[in-house]
Amino acid sequence: MTDRTSPQIYQVFIKASPERVWQALTDPDVSEQYFHGARITNTPETHTVIGTDGSDWGSGAVLEFDPPRRLVHEWSSRYDAELAKEPISRITWEIEDRGAGVCLLTATHDRLEGSPRTAQSVGGPGWSYVVSALKTLLETGEPLPRAL
Amino acid sequence: MDDDDAVFKALADPTRRRLLDRLFEHDGSRLADLEGIAAMTRFGVMKHLRVLEDAGLVVSRRSGREKLHFLNPVPIRRIHDRWIDKYREAPAAYLSDLARSFEEEP
Repeated sequence: MTDRTSPQIYQVFIKASPERVWQALTDPDVSEQYFHGARITNTPETHTVIGTDGSDWGSGAVLEFDPPRRLVHEWSSRYDAELAKEPISRITWEIEDRGAGVCLLTATHDRLEGSPRTAQSVGGPGWSYVVSALKTLLETGEPLPRAL
Repeated sequence: MDDDDAVFKALADPTRRRLLDRLFEHDGSRLADLEGIAAMTRFGVMKHLRVLEDAGLVVSRRSGREKLHFLNPVPIRRIHDRWIDKYREAPAAYLSDLARSFEEEP
């Protein structure tokens, strides 16, 4: 099995304003359309994730909250009993305005050194799907089919 | 810009595909770690990395004095969603239509 515990970086250009991308990261009505149905709320203090079954899928602390540029929050995989035993890792979202109505969105998942199973689970298709679905939603108004 | 042309051009080279495979195995590699994969100069490897970066397939980050290279799988995912999914469904639909047409033969 490939070791995926080094930082993982996911990057995509999105034709949307930084404010719309920021809203997509912080508003549960938007997140449920691209994040496997999860309702995600980020406030200056708290990252809350409510799953499709109504349970907590991995809430934690917000470490940096700088709208509409930078959001850093804790990650724990409470949607899976085995993954939930691993230490908390960290997500950094960066929104860079590239002009002409285009943003560069970068998601970095790090502090995974003690969480190899989480790293394997979110690596590759996991985050790629979420970031790609977010782009499609903001550019077309349509969610990607819920497939993986 | 995540331009399909740039991604396909970047992937149309065996050395660059090897670089991506190497980063898949060892994400966050330094240039020195990547030089061994091809019989070419450091400058040659840098040129290939530059093409991959321009296509959005590789993202580099500074860590102290070093530059680390990370695989960004999102453009490949976009191509998968745009092209591969579409054609994967088509043959299946064609075969089921064909089966139906045989069944309807008198």
